Amino acid sequence: MTLLNIGLIGVLGLLGVGFYGLLTSRNLIKVIIALQILAKAAVLALLVAGNASGQIGLGQSVAITVIVADTIVAVIGMALAIQVRRQMHTLDVVELARLRG
Amino acid sequence: MMETSPLFWLIALPLLATPLVYLSGHLAQTVTRRETVNGRVARDVALAALLACWLPFTWAARELAHISAAHTDALTFGWGGLALRLDGLSLLLTVVALGLGTLVAFYSGPYLAADRGQEKYYAMLVAIVGIMIALGCAADLFNLWVWFEAMAVASYLLVAFYHEQPTSLEAGVKYLVQSAVGSILVLLGIGLVLAHTATLDLQEIRAFVATQGALSPMLLAAGALFLIGFGVKVALVPLHTWLPDAHSQAPSGISAMLSGVVIEAGLVALLRSLGPLTAVAGTATAWAVLLACFGVLNMLVGNLLALRQTQVKRMLAYSSLVHVGYMLVGVSVALFTGTAVGAAGGLFHLFNHALMKGLAFLAAGALLYTLHLAVGDHNPLTVNDLAGAARRYPLAALTLSLALLSLGGLPPFAGFMSKWQIFVAGFQAHNGWVAALVIFAALNSVLSLAYYAPLVNSLYRLKSSELVWAGKPMPRTMSVALALLALPVVAIGFWPGLMRWLTEPAGLALMALFGK
Repeated sequence: MTLLNIGLIGVLGLLGVGFYGLLTSRNLIKVIIALQILAKAAVLALLVAGNASGQIGLGQSVAITVIVADTIVAVIGMALAIQVRRQMHTLDVVELARLRG
Repeated sequence: MMETSPLFWLIALPLLATPLVYLSGHLAQTVTRRETVNGRVARDVALAALLACWLPFTWAARELAHISAAHTDALTFGWGGLALRLDGLSLLLTVVALGLGTLVAFYSGPYLAADRGQEKYYAMLVAIVGIMIALGCAADLFNLWVWFEAMAVASYLLVAFYHEQPTSLEAGVKYLVQSAVGSILVLLGIGLVLAHTATLDLQEIRAFVATQGALSPMLLAAGALFLIGFGVKVALVPLHTWLPDAHSQAPSGISAMLSGVVIEAGLVALLRSLGPLTAVAGTATAWAVLLACFGVLNMLVGNLLALRQTQVKRMLAYSSLVHVGYMLVGVSVALFTGTAVGAAGGLFHLFNHALMKGLAFLAAGALLYTLHLAVGDHNPLTVNDLAGAARRYPLAALTLSLALLSLGGLPPFAGFMSKWQIFVAGFQAHNGWVAALVIFAALNSVLSLAYYAPLVNSLYRLKSSELVWAGKPMPRTMSVALALLALPVVAIGFWPGLMRWLTEPAGLALMALFGK
């Protein structure tokens, strides 16, 4: 089993875990964690892609930028979660359904 | 040469101004210890920064016109990992983002006067304008993704600006989760492209793809991921569910920006990423059919959902879906026929949609402000609230009606002209399916009047409700902003050639993207 194959299995595994978490969790914090797992799958995918194509540097530089960007998204998500908890006294995403139509 | 490139200043100016806007507002409040001074100072600095951006813009436009005469099609700027190209399409997006951004900064003064954290609002507004200009200029997939993500981050903050209102928070959460998943799918697509072609530069990818006999499964999968990932931001129909919430809950100036520029920026990003993949000979028709299918879905579903809305801003948000549909029809006609007429029509509609929808959201926002927000009420503005509003607020009612009739495609307004150009391009294709497609679009345009017309009717013909008479007077700044935006909507309707300098190069740039 080559390094690339292990990487690919890792990407698919992380994607599976991430999407499963995204679809099944009701807690907003867990949803954000699931998003982070998905983002990590993307980071790993970029590293694998860089290695597979021989553009290791390109893949890595994109991956580092992605890490920075998805940290920002996570921070904003957490900030929203704090406000949701303060204003609505719940973190259950199912209860976040006032807007309809 | 960094200092001598107009492209550098066009993007750096708003981005450098962003912290300045925030700090000036923040410092003004700490120093003077007065309540609302932060908003006023931040707005002035933001407005100054956005107005200053028009200088590098005219410089860039002139230089672009100059080099187009020499048959090269783009201004380029590269520095480290930054790779930017300004072509006709970028210029169109720049005009839209900068124009609407400037007006929104001007308009938002009274709208937000009572809110806390205004300096953050203006800082993000200036940032998102700069980011969208850069997004339009992205020359490789990496830049495309970075600017796209930056735009998303800035817009999350703006959507959830009223962070003490549960409905705004809900809209913000829905938007963040859907948009973040979309951007991860785009990244996976970028990974596939990188693994397969060993480059991220859009022109190199196009050159690579053009040598292939057929699109490999990996690139096909990448195309699908781009379509879904960017499609979330463009609100292609099954992915549109965040849009009505986010657009209706954001402050009205931001609704105008989101609906007028952000989804269009998403569309430009989508077309740029898909462009290289259409290079395989003989596949253009398949892509055209795919885009047309999404266009049809968007028009139909958007219209049907808009029909049953009672809240004004929600209705306008659904009508954005319909207008994305028209743009897609224009682009797909262009892809099918290989001529720039349809592309120019679709992009002319993009420009007009920014004007019309921007005007509609700002006018609806002005009425929302005078009737609800000014008295501290965060309930949404419903169609019934507006009964007879024309007697009390003649300018807001007039501009809202102009915008709605233009959105509905009535001559002699801007919306009619761009739809007409798309329809004409469709009939010139001399193909039964394309003709059916544009006839379907025309019928949808008629259908959309079924929700625009009652609103205009209720503004003018119904008896004024008590709510309207109890409303606050309209701030003058808002009236000026509405009048300034209404002017081009009418002027382009009478002289559609006015914007040809912008839309024709944009159409040609789009065709170049598709290799025509």
